[in-house]
Amino acid sequence: MDALRLPVRLKRPFCAALPKSRAVHLHRNGSTTLPFGETVRSVSTSTSELQTSIGTPLVPYRNEEGGYTLPREARVRIVPASPSYFTGRPNFTDHLLSLQDLLRRNELLPTVPPGQAPRTAWRTLTEYKEGVSEPVKSAGYTKILSILNRLNHINPSLMPSEVREVIETYKRKVSPFDNVPNPHALDSWGRGLGVGRRKTASARAWVVEGEGEVIVNGKSLSEMFGRIHDRESAVFALKATERLDRYNIWALVKGGGTTGQAEALTLAVAKALLIHEPGLKPALRRAGVITRDARKVERKKPGKLKARKMPAWVKR
Amino acid sequence: MISRRLILRQGRRALSQPFNTQYRAYTRVQTSTRDNAGLEGENEVDAVKQFFERQSAALAASQPSASPTQSNEVDVKDAEDTGDTANYYHLARHQKKSNTQFGSAQDPFYKPRELITNPPKPEDITLELLLASQSHLGHKTSLWNPANSRYIFGIRDGIHIISLEVTAAFLRRAAKLVSAVTEAGGLVLFVGTRAGQDRCVVKAAELSGGCHLFERWTPGGITNGTHILGQCKTKVVDEHEQELPGYQNQLSQRAALKPDLVVCLNPLENYVLLHECALDNIPTIGIIDTDANPAWVTYPIPANDDSLRCVQVIGGVLGRAGEAGKQRRLAAAKEGYLTYQPKQQLKKPTFADLAQEKLHVEADLPPALPPAPTPASHASSDGEHLVQ
Repeated sequence: MDALRLPVRLKRPFCAALPKSRAVHLHRNGSTTLPFGETVRSVSTSTSELQTSIGTPLVPYRNEEGGYTLPREARVRIVPASPSYFTGRPNFTDHLLSLQDLLRRNELLPTVPPGQAPRTAWRTLTEYKEGVSEPVKSAGYTKILSILNRLNHINPSLMPSEVREVIETYKRKVSPFDNVPNPHALDSWGRGLGVGRRKTASARAWVVEGEGEVIVNGKSLSEMFGRIHDRESAVFALKATERLDRYNIWALVKGGGTTGQAEALTLAVAKALLIHEPGLKPALRRAGVITRDARKVERKKPGKLKARKMPAWVKR
Repeated sequence: MISRRLILRQGRRALSQPFNTQYRAYTRVQTSTRDNAGLEGENEVDAVKQFFERQSAALAASQPSASPTQSNEVDVKDAEDTGDTANYYHLARHQKKSNTQFGSAQDPFYKPRELITNPPKPEDITLELLLASQSHLGHKTSLWNPANSRYIFGIRDGIHIISLEVTAAFLRRAAKLVSAVTEAGGLVLFVGTRAGQDRCVVKAAELSGGCHLFERWTPGGITNGTHILGQCKTKVVDEHEQELPGYQNQLSQRAALKPDLVVCLNPLENYVLLHECALDNIPTIGIIDTDANPAWVTYPIPANDDSLRCVQVIGGVLGRAGEAGKQRRLAAAKEGYLTYQPKQQLKKPTFADLAQEKLHVEADLPPALPPAPTPASHASSDGEHLVQ
């Protein structure tokens, strides 16, 4: 390294070697060495303000009495508020960096298995963009979300408080997952009430423990439904779980046609049965009776004969 | 419809699935109605409970001092819910800590993390360091740019070998430049947009008090700064780098900032940035591999830009150089001297300015999002303390 050292005269010393006392003046003439043992040449190539200030004398701004010889506005510099200034999205970049940093510090904590973390609704991209008021892209926000999800998987018993606080700030204000329906219960007579809909029919079914009697709108099942398929549909929840002889059904159904009414009953009976035996839910789900069939008759549109049928096209 | 689906399941799938999978749900439904169904299950639960009790007793005996301090952090209720994870974790850490003193010491060896957490200083530049970090490896000879011939030492195995003496000299020159610029209060922008260069670039910017860029450069950031960076905030600092309030009104009317020096770790992908710098007379430093055009940058550093280790060494050295310059500036300010030319560019803030800014800050509350990372948090950005 010594071989590379060149005796170069400087306009101004670099004040690395400033002693604790005010011995700057001692260094004000002649060549000097940088703290890493190198001499330096002035690098001025053009006349920008910065380049003129490289290699110029030090400017004293205090006088002997300790007062200021320069006003404050002459001493200040204007600098970026964030080191991510030139990314064009400083807030977003700073958030990403701080989250990466947080994850790096807590990466080795044990985690819960995938999918078993507390269910959390993060801010949406739109909400986040409003918060930072920067053009953040979806891909960029996905990076933030993946880090948050990873942090959320830290074992709750070992979750550091700093992580918990950061996770809180990225949560949506109102979590949709907190909104759970009230659990249904049997009434004082031991009846479970279920409501079901299909097409335009809607049914209410009261299910009680009994011997398998079914009354729909005051009629028996065979009086109510002519088709055997419909009769089977109406009590399919009991049939699929082999409980036809253990419950009585008293139901009201209105609107729609026979198929609609029968399948509205299916759903109503299944829901009422679930109040009695919640453990049957997987079995009923597999039997296909606790899913609301959302299909309805599609409305007719102007310019068409039916919902979608086009009138025949004739030349001229 | 429903019956058909059930028959399908019974008929076709019954052949392909084993009995247990198919009828597990059915048997579960049956057992749930039985009165004596839970007997076997309860025995199992008891066995697990006894196991955990035995484990925690053993843990308490083997963990003399660490447990009381640790237990403050742990939520007791959660610990019960999730079994003994927390206890096992603290036990494992305790064992690791007490066992690290045994075995042979293997030092010194290459620790990749250290190039980020504690980068080398300019005085640490040696040919050995450069060689170890593969900075001499160039590209296939057919890919070369002849303008680099003066930096090339020779050919080996069909690739160009960069002269490490030149690399060292040019790196030292660049380090002096960076430290001179930061000393004079200049703004250095560190750019490394290849995968894996982000941490090195962020660290260098943090050390030197400059800026970083590890994603795509938005074209026009310099030549069309008002439009591209108009929304990005600036601040006013005094000679001790203390932020001064009351200038936001004046700052919002000023043009966007431009870097005073750009350090580019991968010039090949950043032609637009370098071109904008050239248009605006902003000096640039760049790592020039044997296939790059050295005329794209003002101060080339001939080295291997494809090796992450080499890039981290160079970025770290330049960051350290910037840090040294910054410290010289702050030291001079403490002694009562400015290292940059004073100029009256702002007006003194009025009382109304100060009041308005305070109101503005209060209107922003509560903070919508967490604050930007502090330098202190970056400095300790490592999972190492957890390992040890």
